Amino acid sequence: MYEPKIIGFLCNWCSYAAADLAGTSRIQYPSNLKAIRVMCSSRVDPEHVLRAFINGMDGVLIAGCHPGDCHYISGNYKTKRKYLLLQKMLEQFGINPDRVRLEWCSSAEGGKFAQVVTEMTEDLRKLGPVKIGEGD
Amino acid sequence: MSENMYIARSSHKDARERGEYGGAVTSILQGALETGKIDGVVTVRAKNGSRYAGVPVLITTPEELIETAGSLHCSTPNISRFVKEYLDGASTMKLAVVGKPCDIRAIIELQKRERIDADNVILIGLNCTGTMSPTTAKRMFIEEFEVDPDSIMREDIDEGMLTVVLRDGTKKSRDLTELEEKGYGRRENCRRCDINIPRMADLACGKWGAEDEEKKSTFIEICSEKGKNLMDETIEKGFIEVKEPHKESLQRRKKKDEAEIERAEKWKTRDFRIFQELNQPERLNYWIGEFNKCIKCYGCRDACPICHCKECILEAKRGFVDKGEIPPDIMFPLTRLSHVADSCVNCGQCQDVCPMELPLSLLCSFLNRELAAIFGYTPGIDIEERPPLTTASEGELQIQDTFLDIPSITENGELNRLLHKC
Repeated sequence: MYEPKIIGFLCNWCSYAAADLAGTSRIQYPSNLKAIRVMCSSRVDPEHVLRAFINGMDGVLIAGCHPGDCHYISGNYKTKRKYLLLQKMLEQFGINPDRVRLEWCSSAEGGKFAQVVTEMTEDLRKLGPVKIGEGD
Repeated sequence: MSENMYIARSSHKDARERGEYGGAVTSILQGALETGKIDGVVTVRAKNGSRYAGVPVLITTPEELIETAGSLHCSTPNISRFVKEYLDGASTMKLAVVGKPCDIRAIIELQKRERIDADNVILIGLNCTGTMSPTTAKRMFIEEFEVDPDSIMREDIDEGMLTVVLRDGTKKSRDLTELEEKGYGRRENCRRCDINIPRMADLACGKWGAEDEEKKSTFIEICSEKGKNLMDETIEKGFIEVKEPHKESLQRRKKKDEAEIERAEKWKTRDFRIFQELNQPERLNYWIGEFNKCIKCYGCRDACPICHCKECILEAKRGFVDKGEIPPDIMFPLTRLSHVADSCVNCGQCQDVCPMELPLSLLCSFLNRELAAIFGYTPGIDIEERPPLTTASEGELQIQDTFLDIPSITENGELNRLLHKC
């Protein structure tokens, strides 16, 4: 079966802890996601996501704190704005914007994190591998 | 409303003769220099007397200023970058900067980023309906106007016509749209530009609304407290003569502005069509094809007024883009795009300097327009308005979107509404 490659940019304070919780709680989720810990989800610039696609990733998950929970007060709101720019850029360059997903995951939401990764893997399986320059 | 508007002309004979429309702008600046209100003026001078080589200059004496009177339509000086790089962002002296709407907007964007001192700068905006790149203009004058480019005394773009006046006094006019169909005429970004009157500056000066005056005059709109002070002082000291504009003048000015905006809309629809017509797979191919021409000269980065980082991530030593690789990794143009797209002022400098003629300005202004629809942000208008990707508004902090309803934000303009509520 085709296994999509996913990069996950996880916020240090919430989502990374959610992934941790999913692990310690022995919640099963696909191993397609490679996690990168960032200090804040707003550290993820559009170019990081584009670079992931250009280097052969099939999907990107950006996960941060819930609104109001940001360790840096407003980081996740900036993430949301950057995500909107990213969606437009992906559209412009012919990459399906659905390949990038933004999620809020608190450190208590190990279950949600596992569910998001599972869903995303399934979605990307349907979309197939990203073909840079051949359309998507 | 009309108390903020004047029809003005210089009280000085020299300025009246040399200036484009009565020398009012020249005299305002001379006055400010003489009274010591400012230490210098940043404006554009024809280098070696050539109309095709306008360069930004710093002028510190009123006498020198007269040489810069009149406008140059066939030069594309990078005024904002000049103030930032060579004058230390006006940190050490008080400056008046004269510029087109895009120059003024670029300066305001740099002020937001604290690269130009906002308190030390007075912005004098000039109405603009477009500029031409020097080489295209020269070729056009030879082939379409059949005149020697060096015999031209002045050019004017108005009501869709390009008019040139030769040294011997003869006038020649051509239809601008026809010229532009042939690839001549204004620069691409200027055709798409819909900001003709620089109301974001302290003073907005231009001829619209003052055409019918018996004596050549300039229409001046005061757009800020700073501008008002400057005007009041200049009038008081007798550097310029002013009168109130008629209602008809205001209306004519408005009408002309609207006509130009409409013309710009047509060009936008036309230029952006290429993106809309390409289907998804073709889009990336098209851009990869374009980006493969890139020789990584860093010209676009060095010319762009929005590119303000002191340590650029695209430098080889930063390890983001490999050194010595031509064409560079596609990340090179994409990173630049993602850094500047939200604040692009459509000055066209990136495309002007690109030796490989990549349609950079087109790409950036297209994306900027898409973003403007979401964020409701027009770059370079209000210094208080932060760039949209680096801020979160009070209103936004109240949004309870635990379930992250993105479509409602993008489609219904929800974010836009919330942003402007507070």
